[in-house]
Amino acid sequence: MTSSGQSKILSYYKNHRRMPSFSEIMTLCGYKSKNAAHRLVQRMIKAGLVEKDASGRILPKNLWGPIPVIGTVEAGWPSPAEEELVDTMSLDAYLIRNKEASFIMKVKGNSMKDAGIFPGDMVIVERGRDPKDGDIVIAEVDREWTMKYFRKRSGKIYLDPANEQYSKIIPKEELKVAAVVRAVIRRY
Amino acid sequence: MIDTPLTLSDFPKAILHIDGDAFFASCEQSLEPKLKGRPVVTGKERNIVASMSYEAKQRGVTRGMALQEVRKLCPDVVVLPSDYETYSLLSKRFFDIVRRYTSAVEEYSIDECFADITGLQRPHRMSYSEIAKRIQTELDRDLGTSFSVGLGPTKVLAKVASKWNKPSGLTVIPGNYAHRYLAKLPLEKIWGIGPQTTAYLEKEGLRTALDFARRSEEWVKKKLTKPHLEIWFELRGESVLPVVTEEKTDYQSISKMKTFRPSSSDKAFIFAQLSRNIENACIKARRYQLAAREVICFLRTQNFEHHGVELTFSRKTALPNEIVNSLKEHYERLYRPGQIYRATGVILTKLEQDVIRQLDIFDAVLRVERMRKLFAGVDALDRRFGKHTVTLGSSLAADHHNDQLRERGDSAKRKTILFKGENERQRLAIPFMGEVG
Repeated sequence: MTSSGQSKILSYYKNHRRMPSFSEIMTLCGYKSKNAAHRLVQRMIKAGLVEKDASGRILPKNLWGPIPVIGTVEAGWPSPAEEELVDTMSLDAYLIRNKEASFIMKVKGNSMKDAGIFPGDMVIVERGRDPKDGDIVIAEVDREWTMKYFRKRSGKIYLDPANEQYSKIIPKEELKVAAVVRAVIRRY
Repeated sequence: MIDTPLTLSDFPKAILHIDGDAFFASCEQSLEPKLKGRPVVTGKERNIVASMSYEAKQRGVTRGMALQEVRKLCPDVVVLPSDYETYSLLSKRFFDIVRRYTSAVEEYSIDECFADITGLQRPHRMSYSEIAKRIQTELDRDLGTSFSVGLGPTKVLAKVASKWNKPSGLTVIPGNYAHRYLAKLPLEKIWGIGPQTTAYLEKEGLRTALDFARRSEEWVKKKLTKPHLEIWFELRGESVLPVVTEEKTDYQSISKMKTFRPSSSDKAFIFAQLSRNIENACIKARRYQLAAREVICFLRTQNFEHHGVELTFSRKTALPNEIVNSLKEHYERLYRPGQIYRATGVILTKLEQDVIRQLDIFDAVLRVERMRKLFAGVDALDRRFGKHTVTLGSSLAADHHNDQLRERGDSAKRKTILFKGENERQRLAIPFMGEVG
C-alpha cells in the first residue's frame, strides 16, 4: 500500500519532472487528509528517497537507488528490499572478467581511432587469452606492444589497424599476442 | 643401505612451494617487451642489485652487488628503479591464483608461498602433480612471469623440490624417493640450516642432507636445537611445520631502513631520513595497533659500518614526534661530522598491544590521548589522500631529496605515466603494462 503510494509519486515525478505538492499527493493517492500525505512523505524521507527543502517542499533525493541490472522500468520501480540489490554489480566486476589476468595500458597514437580508441585512453587487457578473429589485441611487434584488430582469413593471421593511414601488419614469423582488449575507459 | 627410503609413504600430506623466478626482474620483463632476453637488474635507487634476471645471473651478477661493478661485468645491462607498487600488486595476484585451488596458502614472502593441497585430488579430479602443473600454467599465463614449483610431503621437502630445477621447474619429491634427492643436496642448501650449523655438522663428518636425515633422533636431539629437529623430521617426510594461513598481525619488531643516493654527510638531511623512517615504522605499528617500548636508530656508513642508539621509553609509543624528540639529543653523539653515510634505519622493539592499561602519575594521560586521536586523524587523511599527506616537519628534507631523484629518472615508470584523475601518490590498483600504440 505504501509502495503503491510511492510509485504514484515516482511516476508523477517522471511525467511532470517535479515532485507533487502535498495536496497533489492527496489527489494522486485518494487521501482524505493532508496528514496521510504527510505520513507517506515522512516514510519516503526515512527511506532516503526524498527530502524537504527549507520551505517544506518535497525534493527528489535518491529515487532510484543503484541502477538495477535486471528487471524493466515498468515492472520494477526500485523496491528498497535488499534482495533486489543482490543482482547489481560493481563497475569493477562489469569491466573485469579474470581479475588476476587483467592489466591496464595507456594508449598513444591514432592507429585505432576508427574503433573509438584515442590517445590517452585507458584500455583493460586480459593476458593469456586465445584471440578470436575481430578481437582487439595487444601483440608484440619489433619488441614493442602494439594494439590492432586480430584478423584470421583462411588460416592467415594479420594485424589490422582502425585507421586508413596505417597499414596492415603481416607477421613474418609467429605472431606473439600477449593480451586481448576487454574494455576502454576514458575520463572527461 | 644407500638406497633405503627414509619413509614408505609418498604423500601423507601434499605441500607445494611456489617460488617466483627472479621475481622483480621478471615482472619488469613481462611488462616491457624490450627487456625480454636481456640482462635486467632492479635497484637503481639504492645503487645495488635488488634482483637480477636470469640473463644477468648467467653473466655473474649477484644480489647486493654494486651497480658500478655490474656495469663492468655486463655493459649492456638494463638498470631499473624498483617498482614495489607493481611487484606487490602482482604478488597479491600470485597468491590469489594459488587460492583458486586451495585456501591453505601461506604467503611466505613477496615472491614465495606454501600451499597445502592434501586431499584435493578428488574435488579437482587431478593428481597432486597435475594440480601443481595446473597452478604453474595459470600463473605463467595470467601473470606473464614464470614460477618454479616443488611438491613434497613436507614444507622442507617442497622447498628442496622448488629449488631443484629453476627457472620454470616442476619437481615432485614423494617421501619414499626423498633420499635420492637428499643424497645430492649439500647441507647448506637445506632451508633453515645456516653456515654455522653447516660448519658444525661437517665437523661431525656429515656432507649431504641425506647424511643428516639418516642420523638418529637421539643424536639430533643431543647435538642440535629444536628447529633443527623439526627440519630433520621434515626431511624424513614427516610433516611437523604447518602451512600457516593467517595473515601476520603480530610482530616481534618493526624495522624500516632506507638507502639514499648519493651518500651524504649532511647532518640535517640524514636526520630527516631517520625521521622519515621513524614515521614509516610508526605508521605500520599503528596499523597493527602496536606500540614500542624500545627504539633503535642507526646510521650505515659508506663502508657498511653501523652506528646506533637505543632509546627506551617509560611508556610504549607509536607516535613519531615523541621518538624524534627523544632522538634529537642522542643524534648529536650518533652523527660524526665528515663521515659519509648511505642509509639510516629504525627498529621498533618490545612491541605491545597499544592499549592504555593504567594511568601513571607523571604522565598527562589526557595529553597522550589527544596525540593518539591526532594521529588517528593523520592516518585517516593518509588513507584518503596518500601516504605522508600529513608529515613531520623534520622529515621534509628527505622528501625534497626524493623529488630531485624523481627528476633524474630514479622513479618507477608507473609513477610518471599517469591517467587522468591519478596522481603521484595514488594510482589504480591494477598493474600497468605500459603504453601501446
